[in-house]
Amino acid sequence: MTSLGADTRATEGPIVADKNCEKIHHITESIRCCGAGTAADTEFTTALISSNMELHALSTGSKPRVVTAMTMLKQMLFRYQGQVGAALVLGGVDATGPHLFTIHPHGSTDKLPYVTMGSGSLAAMAVFESGWRANMEREDALNLVKAAISAGIFNDLGSGSNIDACIITASHTEMLRNVEMPNMRVQKERKYAFRRGTTAWKTENVRDLVVNEQITFVGGDAMDTT
Amino acid sequence: MIGDQQRKVMSEQEEKGQTSRAVLSTVLVARDSILVTTCHTRSSYAFTPSTTTTMEPSYRIVPGNQTKSASIQGTANSLGLHDTLRHGPRSLAAEVQTEGGLKGRLENWEATQDNAKLTLRRNIYGMHAPMRLLMERKIVSQTSPFVSAMSPSNLHLDILMGRDETIEPADIFLGMENGPSLDIHEQLRK
Repeated sequence: MTSLGADTRATEGPIVADKNCEKIHHITESIRCCGAGTAADTEFTTALISSNMELHALSTGSKPRVVTAMTMLKQMLFRYQGQVGAALVLGGVDATGPHLFTIHPHGSTDKLPYVTMGSGSLAAMAVFESGWRANMEREDALNLVKAAISAGIFNDLGSGSNIDACIITASHTEMLRNVEMPNMRVQKERKYAFRRGTTAWKTENVRDLVVNEQITFVGGDAMDTT
Repeated sequence: MIGDQQRKVMSEQEEKGQTSRAVLSTVLVARDSILVTTCHTRSSYAFTPSTTTTMEPSYRIVPGNQTKSASIQGTANSLGLHDTLRHGPRSLAAEVQTEGGLKGRLENWEATQDNAKLTLRRNIYGMHAPMRLLMERKIVSQTSPFVSAMSPSNLHLDILMGRDETIEPADIFLGMENGPSLDIHEQLRK
């Protein structure tokens, strides 16, 4: 079983561009990829590798493997010499078992039991280092991931908003979008809508745009699909 | 020309009724020294050039530093200075900067990897192995002049190059810098 987690903040310099973006991308049914770094690079790279993985699976006829996605990603990122700013955490379950990889923008990869990437990676890694054990149950793993992402959200300015999680097992994948929303906006104390009658009006003239309506039945038979 | 020398050597041997290893080694040496690659790229990196008929044996996986576009060696006269009358004004920018960097790396990536594979095949199976593959590619890429007007995709070439089951950014971001020339007369003239 592999669990992935991500926050949902996309920044443009010091400004939050997207308060609820999706950072866990789909590679195949049982393989997901979290993307940190330049948003366009991660989205396009993961979409491209997802397409290639699908073609590869159709061509080989067997369930796609996580190492295949990792190899495709690392070869592409190495070719671009780090200009494609995609720092990825790739995780999934395939016929050989659960795997977790991290891929840096220049193309280096690591296979590890727990990884973090992005600006909040130090905060999240601190939580992992103190809390991770081998062979955790689903609930424990999910709580640990949520704690790690929360650490990033509350202690790092580049991360924020909500927590997304994804649990991948051999049988099925569970995407938990916005599993926790610790940063909901408080309801405003006043209502700022204008009351009816704020603008004075003198006359009212309602014109019906439909002047004359005639219904004519055409054909009437089933769709011709020859 | 080197090709003529090859043919001359081979015909002499055939007259004598021998096909000796000396002929084979002459051919190998001559091939090694041919450095010209006759690839026609239609645009910078949208279509990978794969119609080279010769290859320089190299194990390089990653494209090396691109050669500079101008050098004083090529333009020097007998006094050792840049010959302006023959080659035009000197451009230090052309001599110092290379076009390459990331652009050259990306453009030459497929060709370099392909060259490495062909070199390995040559060393394992013999001289004929890469030549047969290059011959097949050349045959397949001889297209009719009307193809580029409609859709410039060569499925057979894609299969031979092993890219029939992958999607590359070039496939998604279609479009060459100039666009396909709608002038059939130009293409027929080529």
